[in-house]
Amino acid sequence: MSASDDWFENAPCGLILMKRDGIILRANRTFIAWTGHELQSLVGKRLPDFLPIAGKIFYDTHFAPLMHLQEHFDEVALDFACAGGNRMPALVNAIEGRDEEGRPGFIRLAIFRTADRRLYERNLLDARDRAEETVRVEREVSELREQFIAVLGHDMRNPLASIASGMRLLGKEPVSERGRRVIELVEGSVIRAAGLIDNVLDFARGRLGGGLTLSRDAREPLEPVLRQVVDELRSIAPERIVLAEYELDDPIDCDRGRIGQLLSNLLGNALTHGAKDKPVRVLAGSEAGTLRISVANGGAPIPVATMARLFQPFFRGQVRSNRDGLGLGLHIASEIAKAHGGVLEVTSNRLETRFTFTMPLA
Amino acid sequence: MGLIDMADQGLVQRFATRITGTGAKTVMFAHGFGCDQAMWRYVAPAFERDFRVVLFDFVGAGSSDLSVYDPENYASLAGYADDVVALAKALGINDGIFVGHSVSGMIGILASKQAPELFGKLVLVGPSPRYINDADYTGGFTAEQIEELLDFLDSNHMGWSQAMAPVIMGNPDRPELGEELTNSFCRTDPEIAKRFARATFLSDNRSDLPGIDAEVLILQCRSDAIAPIEVGEHVHRAIAGSRLVILDATGHCPNLSAPEETIAAIKAFV
Repeated sequence: MSASDDWFENAPCGLILMKRDGIILRANRTFIAWTGHELQSLVGKRLPDFLPIAGKIFYDTHFAPLMHLQEHFDEVALDFACAGGNRMPALVNAIEGRDEEGRPGFIRLAIFRTADRRLYERNLLDARDRAEETVRVEREVSELREQFIAVLGHDMRNPLASIASGMRLLGKEPVSERGRRVIELVEGSVIRAAGLIDNVLDFARGRLGGGLTLSRDAREPLEPVLRQVVDELRSIAPERIVLAEYELDDPIDCDRGRIGQLLSNLLGNALTHGAKDKPVRVLAGSEAGTLRISVANGGAPIPVATMARLFQPFFRGQVRSNRDGLGLGLHIASEIAKAHGGVLEVTSNRLETRFTFTMPLA
Repeated sequence: MGLIDMADQGLVQRFATRITGTGAKTVMFAHGFGCDQAMWRYVAPAFERDFRVVLFDFVGAGSSDLSVYDPENYASLAGYADDVVALAKALGINDGIFVGHSVSGMIGILASKQAPELFGKLVLVGPSPRYINDADYTGGFTAEQIEELLDFLDSNHMGWSQAMAPVIMGNPDRPELGEELTNSFCRTDPEIAKRFARATFLSDNRSDLPGIDAEVLILQCRSDAIAPIEVGEHVHRAIAGSRLVILDATGHCPNLSAPEETIAAIKAFV
């Protein structure tokens, strides 16, 4: 056998020579050994005769047309039907060849077995399909959850409003000293509950799409809103000292309700987590083109690990279980800060823990 | 002849429509299962001197807009026929010629019955009204074979889900066509291929053959595994007044393997 014949016959892949119409002219030993077909049963037959039905149809509708158009075809995955009845998964390259006169006349095929690679690829596809399905289900569940939260929060406002107006009415009745205390407590709780619901609704709305919406207005002053927030929270925690300083001179283009909500969340946090025997300090000032609002409390510093996650939704750190709170307050506050083009930052040491909101003015 | 207004522009683009040539009448070429309008590249140019020539891709093939693919719509050939009618109307085709390869032959027949004014002549290249054998009918495939095919496609076998974007080189035999095109010829989105195969190979349009107003020419290859000669003869018998031409070409795509013979047969008819 000549060297080139040897190369053909014993190549590390199957080699087939066929006419343009698919009639097999030659097949090498490797192909014969792999498929179990004898040479005489291959020569003179068409290649699709050795492909299962899907391959036959693929040959006539894809492979052959493409060969006509561009004279080569690479990396086709074809299964070959073997003499023993089993299938041999293969990867095939094909290229058109020309005769001595340069006329296109025949096609050369190189065939590589790919059982393992095919299995690997199929496993990848299966894994991807499963992952996509998981994501889809997760997304559905998540949307459902958020819709539920939104509906619940919204529906809770009604009974709260009833309680608030009930308390107002009761407050106009003749009531004992003790009774008045009770009314104040209930009103304080209503304020806290309303704050919780606001946070929950904001969170759900934000997640369902669109983020936090603002309606800015520079005409109305901010200070009265901040004062009212501080007063509200003082009334909830009458035994605590809250020192507040305001130096807001310039018109501030912001959503006052939202800034009020931000302060309420920060102040509520400070009162809940700060040392009971230390005052809470609120500073609100505008200067050098920046609005700055900070809330500081005493008490144990926030651990470093906790600092990194403070503004994540539902993060509650080492909260004791009898404290109210969903862990949304800081998250919402930081979203409000971002929506205003500002930032919410925290520093914490043994002297104090201070949350500072800064935002550029205009 | 065919001012295309704004609403129709979208339609024209959806099917990656290409319009060439000039003439009083329009020839609309429709590709078959598996490929796209590129398969007419050796045949369509021959008609540009005497006809307006329209080439397009069915939704799901070639450069068509895949985003509008609605599986419900294309569960049967009727959806594809609706598209042909819509596109032909948008292009103002009247008394035109429809040339449909493979399954597009049936699609053209359905379209023509829906709107007979569109096409005065139908050329069916390798048509088949039903692929699965029946009592007295040879379709070419057994039910088991077609089921095996559809199972195979359902399992998303690599062979059909490969995304191929081959470069189409100019044919050295025809240097005048020689430009390098990159297109999506034979790209097979596995989901769409699966459904198109199902719509095609499970179809039975034998009852749609009679009652066609247009003149019909059937081009049948001598040995075609997908649409065997018995099928071509059946179609010829069922369509009154139809003409049957047996081409010497082998295989299923004479428009590629024997373009001159195909062109000659169509020209003799139009």
